[in-house]
Amino acid sequence: MFDKFSFSNIWENDGIFISVVGYLIVFAALLILSIIITYFQKILISRQRRKLKSVGHRAADAENLEISGEISAAISMAIYLHFQENHDIENTVLTIKRVQRTYSPWSSKLYGLREYPKR
Amino acid sequence: MEGINQFISFTGFANLTIGHLVMIVIGLFFIYLAIKKEYEPLLLVPIGFGILMGNIPFIENVGMQIGIYEQGSVLNYLYFGVMKGIYPPLIFLGIGAMTDFSALISNPKLMLLGAAAQLGIFLTFMAALALGFTVNQAAAIGIIGGADGPTAIFLSSKLAPELLGAIAIAAYSYMALVPVIQPPIIKLLTSKEERLIKMKPPKAVTKLEKMSFPVVGLLLTTFISPGALPLLGMLFFGNLLKESGVTKRLADTAAKPLIDIVTILLGLTVGASTQATTFLTPESILIFVLGAISFMVATAGGVLFAKFMNLFLKGDNKLNPMIGAAGVSAVPDSARVVHTLGQIEDPTNYLLMHAMAPNVAGVIGSAVAAGILMGFLLKVI
Repeated sequence: MFDKFSFSNIWENDGIFISVVGYLIVFAALLILSIIITYFQKILISRQRRKLKSVGHRAADAENLEISGEISAAISMAIYLHFQENHDIENTVLTIKRVQRTYSPWSSKLYGLREYPKR
Repeated sequence: MEGINQFISFTGFANLTIGHLVMIVIGLFFIYLAIKKEYEPLLLVPIGFGILMGNIPFIENVGMQIGIYEQGSVLNYLYFGVMKGIYPPLIFLGIGAMTDFSALISNPKLMLLGAAAQLGIFLTFMAALALGFTVNQAAAIGIIGGADGPTAIFLSSKLAPELLGAIAIAAYSYMALVPVIQPPIIKLLTSKEERLIKMKPPKAVTKLEKMSFPVVGLLLTTFISPGALPLLGMLFFGNLLKESGVTKRLADTAAKPLIDIVTILLGLTVGASTQATTFLTPESILIFVLGAISFMVATAGGVLFAKFMNLFLKGDNKLNPMIGAAGVSAVPDSARVVHTLGQIEDPTNYLLMHAMAPNVAGVIGSAVAAGILMGFLLKVI
């Protein structure tokens, strides 16, 4: 199985060259992508700052305009609760609906099963 | 009587070899791991069952057209998608439609961990060359270290189709065995203090950033490595379907029914391709060994690079070096393993989102590496 083993195979097939250059290209590709994303974010933030400044918002001078994911999640939760929770404006008119429950000392369940529900 | 004799000679019992038995046991072991241990059941059940199907002994080339390597058989038609590298881009489309890149966008420097973990690919490439594999075969074997089954299949279908079965099985096996392979390496290379590092929460990412990422990512990576276009093109296309917000139906189809169908076909046919008569060779065993080494080196590369980055980072910007291990592109398994290890050390430390960043970067990195290897070797050819 190892009869063909030889370090010279690496050299003869440009193994070191392909590996080093290939690895560097992978690194370079992802590094450039990360730099572009970083600068894109900075451009977006400066645009946001300009927009805030134009309407005279005091947040325009804030050192950091970025919002952490946790704050964003908390805001989303608050908005969700605001729109879902209706207890503050709950209808105060209560209605009571009478329901007939036939009783049997033997087994009320039996009665319930044998009779059609009465509305 | 002659008919009975012929029938008996056609049965599996009459054609059974030790190789078939070995492969059937391996198939059963995969199914056991998937069901009992829940190691990547979505992959291991189809692959394990495929191994059983591929190793039912029969007489080949008598016109029955049942074997996966027999022209015109149903399995052969289904295997066509593997041989011609059709399934991997479709899988990437689904992955793109499922993946949230916001963890990566919010902390772009973590992209470097995805690059660092590709070390396994290139070191194993050299090791395979030294062992006497051809340069194309060595490249296809090395890509196992990317821990990305579709990328491994895609590259080996282009460069070394004769090793496709072994490489695919090795890549998917190691992807499934992430929870077994990675933790010891991570623990070996990190101290307890390092494993306890809490990273600051990722910042919120705007919709515009999320939508721009697939477009910028596609243009940049495929201009550098056009060989990766079928994979990265589909990955970023799927992601744009998801993030654009106007193609929800398409994104849902790509992320659910399409990827499920392709996973079934891919897993089953890759499993069936391990027919003992063509699969059990010394090369296959070597490929398995090299694949394991490749995967371990990739994990170590990611962890060590995270430690290296920490030398330049201050205060709460420091990285938990465990997330470097997620630079291999087994999504989301590696990230999950890192998160679980973090939770064992400190139940209040949530590393999942941080680990997802190098994990998705690893997907991009391994596809870029595959494209680069194709570029180099097509020139050599």
